[in-house]
Amino acid sequence: MKNKACVTIIGGGVVGSATAYYLAKNGLTDVVLLERDYLSSGSTGRCGGGIRQQWSERMNVRLAMRSVEHFKNFEREVGLNIEYFQGGYLLLAYTEEEEALFKKNVAMQQEEGLDVVLLSREETVRKFPFMNLEGLKLSAYCPSDGHANPHLTTFGYARAAEKMGVNVLTHTDAKRVLVENGKIRTVVTDRGEIETGIVVNAAGGYSHQAGEMVGLNLPTESYRHQIFVTEPLEHILDPLVISFVNNFYIRQTGSGNFIMGQGDRDELPGLEITPTWKFLKEMSDKMPRFFPFLKDVRILRHWAGLYNMSPDAQPIIDRSNEIEDFYFAIGFSGHGFMLAPAVGEALAEWIVFGEPRSVDISNLSLQRFERGFTREKNVV
Amino acid sequence: MNNPDLLVLGGGPAGLCGAIEAAREGLRVLVVDEGISPGGQLVKQTHKFFGNENFYASTRGMEIAGKLLKELSLYPQVILACESSVLAVYPDGVPVLDRRSDSTYLYNPTRLLVATGASEKFLQFDNNDLPGVYGAGAVQTLMNQFGILPGKSVLMIGSGNIGLIVSYQLDQAGVEVKAILEASSRIGGYRVHADKVKRLGIPVLLNHTILKAIGEKSVNGALITALDERWRPVPGTEREMVIDTVCIAVGLTPSAELVAQAGGQLKYIPELGGYVPLHDSDMRTTIDRVFVAGDVSGIEEATTAMIEGRIAGLNIVKDIKGKCNETRLEELKETLSAFRSGPTSSKIRSGLEKMDLVTQPARYVEGEVNRSGEFRGKLRPIIECFEAIPCNPCETSCPVGAITVGENINDVPVIDYSRCTGCGVCATKCPGLAIFMYQEREDGMALVGIPYEFLPVPEKGQSVYATGRSGEVLCTARVDRVTRSANKTNIVYLTVPEELGRDVRHIHVTNREESSLICRCEEITVEQVKKAIREGYVDFEELRRYLRVSMGPCGGRTCRLNTLMILSGETGVPVEKLSPGTLRPPAIPVSFGAIERNAKVTHE
Repeated sequence: MKNKACVTIIGGGVVGSATAYYLAKNGLTDVVLLERDYLSSGSTGRCGGGIRQQWSERMNVRLAMRSVEHFKNFEREVGLNIEYFQGGYLLLAYTEEEEALFKKNVAMQQEEGLDVVLLSREETVRKFPFMNLEGLKLSAYCPSDGHANPHLTTFGYARAAEKMGVNVLTHTDAKRVLVENGKIRTVVTDRGEIETGIVVNAAGGYSHQAGEMVGLNLPTESYRHQIFVTEPLEHILDPLVISFVNNFYIRQTGSGNFIMGQGDRDELPGLEITPTWKFLKEMSDKMPRFFPFLKDVRILRHWAGLYNMSPDAQPIIDRSNEIEDFYFAIGFSGHGFMLAPAVGEALAEWIVFGEPRSVDISNLSLQRFERGFTREKNVV
Repeated sequence: MNNPDLLVLGGGPAGLCGAIEAAREGLRVLVVDEGISPGGQLVKQTHKFFGNENFYASTRGMEIAGKLLKELSLYPQVILACESSVLAVYPDGVPVLDRRSDSTYLYNPTRLLVATGASEKFLQFDNNDLPGVYGAGAVQTLMNQFGILPGKSVLMIGSGNIGLIVSYQLDQAGVEVKAILEASSRIGGYRVHADKVKRLGIPVLLNHTILKAIGEKSVNGALITALDERWRPVPGTEREMVIDTVCIAVGLTPSAELVAQAGGQLKYIPELGGYVPLHDSDMRTTIDRVFVAGDVSGIEEATTAMIEGRIAGLNIVKDIKGKCNETRLEELKETLSAFRSGPTSSKIRSGLEKMDLVTQPARYVEGEVNRSGEFRGKLRPIIECFEAIPCNPCETSCPVGAITVGENINDVPVIDYSRCTGCGVCATKCPGLAIFMYQEREDGMALVGIPYEFLPVPEKGQSVYATGRSGEVLCTARVDRVTRSANKTNIVYLTVPEELGRDVRHIHVTNREESSLICRCEEITVEQVKKAIREGYVDFEELRRYLRVSMGPCGGRTCRLNTLMILSGETGVPVEKLSPGTLRPPAIPVSFGAIERNAKVTHE
């Protein structure tokens, strides 16, 4: 095991792996990526895999559009087929409030150059005849949204980073970070110490705990979100479909399985990820109402992961003012996978060149919470 | 009854016995079983049982099921629900799928007895997904439970007790058993079972395996081959057999998914069939309210399953009522221990010891092991010569006179370890290759010296598979050194984890067919798995996510263990040190409709 590194990344999910990849691509290969379990074992490997650009905040739209450019080129650039499929995202509006919000958002998103359109109820029904769209007001449809396999994305980044010289250490748990006079000295793991000057907190569901290792009280907390997958069927569903008021999302994977989930408003913050019967029951009652063909489809596996929530449900990507060279990409609030390529790229540029170059992430600073903030509304 | 005192998962011998003990003391018990009738494997057992007459010895298994059900029917507060599958053990309840109405019902029992039994291990060969390829359990179910013959001529793979018994049953039913193939060089099952089959004229082909099932739409033949000492096909020995059924009987593995979901800790113990829930002698798992009994707690047989079920049942009574019949509980524990003290249970004993359960070994082993144990850390021979045969080269070859057979050459040897110098001469001399060298090291590993009479002689540092007494792969190991001997019995010293040191008795290098499927649901081949491992996916969960192996409807029952074995072989990490991954609910695929529909409390 390497005992010295310029940069140590804590977390072998998609954000940590993407950051490692872009660091190496920008010439900084003296990097250790620490993962206490296996690659993609945390929130990344448990997520739905959607890649969406339809956000209510302008900066999020830009960040997501940048990520989509990377997803499009992933196989050619990184060298692994990640089952990326641009089947679109279909957001369903059922209330007048949603209708107004969608209209406003779509106008803004179109200004940003996104290929999003509003579909009337009839247009939506014509396009997706197998869905029950009773009560629908309208929908927002963006064909360049899509989805990919989160495990393969993580593996792709990590393997490519390894090939360029990054040291990927799985089953290695970062226990403590030794800081002297505000400067990082050493990361202590259960398998030895790494002398390092720069640390990236990409610990996903455990980002708050990783902040505590350098004495920071980062404003993130984790919530259990459950999800399940069905047996595979012939391909029928192109877009990932979301309804905010009905509280669900659903997509069909490259291998034909349907993956779906919902949020639970009763969930308390914590690190528990045991799945529950209540979730399975609620979803089984609900989903066949919208997708009648699901009634006789069988559910194969059910699991849970953590949404690492920030106060405004948007990521926090910043560098600490208190601890020199302590970076963090945290609080993704359930949307880390889709933003990871652009975030990893920006963070790596910040470390290597002293500033993010490819995309503006100033709105995602930690300081925004001191100024007052707007909560991202498009969240399941 | 959505809050029974006890919910028993599985109505086989263990579950029924547990239910009887609990019901006897007035507990409200619900037994759920997947089958169309209860009794588990008992209903398929047409042979007479071994053991002690207090525990149904000499009674046929299917008759035992009837007796247990009759006893259980004496208690009106017991409900037995068939065609019911437990989907998961969630923190907020245990959902049960009623298959007749395809609807679900949620229970919140005070105590849970998981008696889910075992599933069959699977084998990789070409066309192993062709109709006509059965597991031995399926053949027994079809034939003995439903009266349907699987075919007209069968090739049996595996000569363990199940392979032998099912072959006998097939013959009884008029099916021709063309041969029993056994990959290792000895029959796995009890000698009496083997003799019974041999008597019928069924050949047992040792050192043989199946390469391929032949056929387009269903099996109409098989290509078999002889294997050499290291389980490699011997070129030129391939031959075709005309058969219409291949029956696989290569062992069982505990169905421990539901215990894992309840939060119970599992441990990989090859002697007990794979991942086993850790439990104490009261059959309590690492989760207070969850008990296990029968094959799920380690592959054994029906008699011990019934005793375990009763022990679990009594302890559940004690938990709920504050007391139980302690005398009876102690008697049951003693009976169980006595059952396991014989030589054929040595594997079970060493397996149970791995979860810190005390076992009582047979007398001849007792003396040997204890005295050997006093000399922990010293390089010394372990003599496994238990049968009285006229033989004494160990005595005459020992340069320091530490081994005594005595006046009667038929006696078994006795060794004085205080005089032994660990030279290893006896191990090279023993004609039976029954002497092994052994030394515990301080780092938790042990050095095992294997008498080895094959070519080529492995080299120092080479990685080999260390195998157990039945030829089963226990772990991979490095060759520490080889002591060459003029009489060509060389001693190959291996470094293995100490807990396996007592079981490693041979080495070999497997050579499985690379293009055969390891995961039938997702159609993943052995070669794909090996390639992924070489690419750096050296964790089961990474492999699963990368290749989709074990992501299909079977939930990994068929391929999880085999994938881990390949991973162990390729990386050199013993299986027990690998993470088996997460066993996710639901335990069987279930439809949205079934979950949405509430069962009409048919279990009331």
